[in-house]
Amino acid sequence: MTPGYETGPTSDRQTSGLGFVGQRVKRVEDERFLIGKGNFVADLTPDGVHHAAFLRSPFAHARILSIDVTAAAALPGVTRVFTAAELNALTNPIPPFFMADGVYTPLYSCMSEDKVRHMGDPVALVLAESRYVAEDALELIEVDYEDLQPTATIDQGLDTSREQLWELADGNVLADTSFEFGDVDKTFADADRIITRTFECPRQTNQPMETRGCIVLVDPDSGHLELHNTSQAPHFLKWAIAALLVNDGAVRNLSTFLRNKERRKAFSSASKEFLKTNIDKLKSSDPAGQKAQLSKDKSMLRHQARMAMGLLAAEDYPTVKAGDIGGAFGSKGSVAREDIAVAAAAKATGLSVKWIEDRVENLLDGGQAREERFTVSMAVDEDGTFRGLKVDAVLDQGAYPAFPISGVATLLFWKVYMPGPYDFGAFQLNGKIVATNKGKVVPYRGPWANETFMRERMIDVVAAELGMDPGELRAKNVLREETMPAALLTGPTLDETMSVAKTLDHALSLIDNDQLARDKAAARERGHRLGLGIASYHEAAPGPPNFFESIQPGSDMFLYEDGRAEIQADGRIVMYTSQSPHGQSHQTTYKQVAADEFGVSMDDVEIVWGDTDRTQFSFLGTGGSRGGPLGAGVMRVTARELRRQVAAVAADMIEASPDDIEIVDGNIHVAGVPSRGIGYRAVAAKVARETGIADGPVFAESMKYEGVGNGGWSTATHVAWVDIDLETGMVEIPRYLVVEDCGPIINPGIVDGQVRGGVAQGIGAVFYERHHYDDDANLQSGTYMDYLIPTSMEIPDIEIEHLETLTAGENDARGVGEGGMIGAPAALTNAVSDALGVQVLEQYLPPHRLLELAGVIER
Amino acid sequence: MNLPSIRAAIGETISVTTTINGASRRFDVEPRRSLADVIRDEAGLTGTHLGCEHGVCGACTVLLDGEPVRSCLMLAVQADGTEITTIEGLANADGSLHPIQQGMYDAMSFQCAFCSPGFLMSAVALLRDNPNPSTNEIREELSGNLCRCTGYQSIVEGVETAVRIMGAQQ
Repeated sequence: MTPGYETGPTSDRQTSGLGFVGQRVKRVEDERFLIGKGNFVADLTPDGVHHAAFLRSPFAHARILSIDVTAAAALPGVTRVFTAAELNALTNPIPPFFMADGVYTPLYSCMSEDKVRHMGDPVALVLAESRYVAEDALELIEVDYEDLQPTATIDQGLDTSREQLWELADGNVLADTSFEFGDVDKTFADADRIITRTFECPRQTNQPMETRGCIVLVDPDSGHLELHNTSQAPHFLKWAIAALLVNDGAVRNLSTFLRNKERRKAFSSASKEFLKTNIDKLKSSDPAGQKAQLSKDKSMLRHQARMAMGLLAAEDYPTVKAGDIGGAFGSKGSVAREDIAVAAAAKATGLSVKWIEDRVENLLDGGQAREERFTVSMAVDEDGTFRGLKVDAVLDQGAYPAFPISGVATLLFWKVYMPGPYDFGAFQLNGKIVATNKGKVVPYRGPWANETFMRERMIDVVAAELGMDPGELRAKNVLREETMPAALLTGPTLDETMSVAKTLDHALSLIDNDQLARDKAAARERGHRLGLGIASYHEAAPGPPNFFESIQPGSDMFLYEDGRAEIQADGRIVMYTSQSPHGQSHQTTYKQVAADEFGVSMDDVEIVWGDTDRTQFSFLGTGGSRGGPLGAGVMRVTARELRRQVAAVAADMIEASPDDIEIVDGNIHVAGVPSRGIGYRAVAAKVARETGIADGPVFAESMKYEGVGNGGWSTATHVAWVDIDLETGMVEIPRYLVVEDCGPIINPGIVDGQVRGGVAQGIGAVFYERHHYDDDANLQSGTYMDYLIPTSMEIPDIEIEHLETLTAGENDARGVGEGGMIGAPAALTNAVSDALGVQVLEQYLPPHRLLELAGVIER
Repeated sequence: MNLPSIRAAIGETISVTTTINGASRRFDVEPRRSLADVIRDEAGLTGTHLGCEHGVCGACTVLLDGEPVRSCLMLAVQADGTEITTIEGLANADGSLHPIQQGMYDAMSFQCAFCSPGFLMSAVALLRDNPNPSTNEIREELSGNLCRCTGYQSIVEGVETAVRIMGAQQ
């Protein structure tokens, strides 16, 4: 360290003596990142690996008449060229995952052989000695396409006279659902006023700085696959690869399976175990979704048997490893079609294969989001009381449903979230999904977030109609602890963690209205307009125990998080998480949590993640703001249990009662007598001697964790100040305030980073980013010259206030990863509306649009 | 392109000599290979990252004869006879961090850190030319690098922290 410069708490040094949790401890991850020693997938180039490149459709919608790969295959350096048909024969179609009443999910393969449905649709795969040669070969593949009519917009998607993307659908409408809570007709009939608006949200794309990528290594003897992948959910990828690669080994069909006694036994015991654990949840699951799917397409049943063949024995599953991941924001939670194709190609050839997506591919189909339309009717009384909410929503899913989390999940989240933290008496959602010839929609940081945009924007519209102050109107209707019902209208239970009112009250107290009036006048003098906007919201992070049940009955079997703690024979502490971090600093926070439980330094704890051979199964991996509450929660309870076991052995060794044991700085001793203490190494050595374990864990505990309490809500209010130059249409954000409540904070430096990063993406969404397709569904924003990610010149400093509401008893941290992005678009568009004195009905406001809204230029 | 012209482009190599992080290196490279690919694949210095490969995101920024350049937009053959510094060349031989690394560490500047090599190299060039930049100057200089995680505030603070460290060292 430099003399005269103080660095603050680090992983081997705390400053307060109160433990690591709650402190702004420096990131352990940075110890490798800042010297250029990260472990990203593209950094790995195993000897003899072959490089993959995909030929992609230049058309939005076309029939493939023929494909000729002869010249490409003859190019020196090319190992193998696969057509779509060849790879599809080696794989099973991607099945529906979330099924719901009124929903049809088209099945599709990893490659497109008959028809392409968006620009970038993969039609052939080349393996070559280098990526350069692989891309050369793409130029030599000849494909004859016959144009089909493209569907480019929500309006076209709703028009049933257009060419269908999927022949079994009703036109291009894949979902037509309706949900109702309370008596909507009566509530609307009784209310003083009904106010209706339609809001448009254009397409965005997640755009992590690292693209997707997959390396598949093939064991030459066993054929076992090892995938190195950018996956947010390595275990789900492992499951999917096993299920989707055709198992052409010993088990080809049911009769050979039944003759294979070992596999039959393994399958039968695994199914019994699964049924025993999940019987109640399976019984409560809603069969309507499956019925809706089968009424359109029964092929799922045919493929299920074939898929099951890949899932029967441990050796059928690949190993998946995820090292450092360069961001995802939801886009790396899906199983990529390319992952399946590359794994099938590696398996078929026995060659190790590396595919690193390039940025253009990522913009074409690496994950898109949020193109949605909402027609909202709010029933209100003249005094501003909210009565009822009715929403007709349409989601433009693009060509292929993401797997596993498609637009259907967004509809189901809307159903629960839309009324927000307000006291509505009745709510109805009519939700549709349309298929269009565009890249696929994936979860993007709060996948449901546009419900907050449309609701909070609508509240400002209502305030203007009633002549009320938007802040006061929110304060009047927000759920307050004193009068809070036991549950939301849409089902999930509530406790004091539903603290939106506290964040709103505190935010309002930090607005100086006199100063605002002066600033508005000063802006006007300069030819600018200044405005202020507010938005409030809550999110389930992780939510109450019945949250998933409210989303879809039966789906809460995926709620829990697994964890494992071990103490090795040499005394090392090793913690295993099923999370797959990609920027959220899990390694640092989990070390903080475990170190405090064990009474050691953070450097004494090793965190293991991202290796499916070493960590426990998890469908979800990292996503849904679960890493703090459930991921850190299971680290805490598992470490605590193991500490108890260690203390019991140590107490015996130093002839004391386990209850009197204290552990400080790794010294296990009787409270008050630190000089007679022993270390973890000594305790481990004793157990190792007694059990004969020389290498491996001498203490080990695996646990499942579902969180505590009946709330688990993370809440916030955002306030944006926006200054618009009426000459240029350029925007400045002189102040941006977030008052958030994610409960007890493990590391404020990390939480602040999550909040700011989310707000930055919200600022991008409103003022800079639009993933634009033209009327023929040709992508117009296919590079970073056209898709504008905001820079350090556009994103202001963000002011953050933490409330940290606690419930009685032990509290989990509550999630904070998604919130920033959920609140920002509403706060910013409300501020623009205030500045310009018009009610903005769209989310994307580039300079020319602001000048149109201001009346400076004509549309 | 047709097959003969592609065949002609493949295989021919040119010898390139550069100094990378103080060590002299010789590579035989195809004329079309980018500098970034040679740094990553031939020199094995994977700390330099490729984010967009079209010159916008800046993750591939290295110092070429002291000036920050996009290594994805340069051909390796253009780097013949030059001196290159990558993120791996910032720390001292004894492992102690460069002030910009220490500043970014203390400010908890990054999250996924995929963009970090570009920001570090841009910041090194900035502070060499302007050891006491204003916040606006820092923001302007770093606006050629994209970060999707942080909202930039912590990165700006990291540069400001580096300025303080360099001040304390003098």
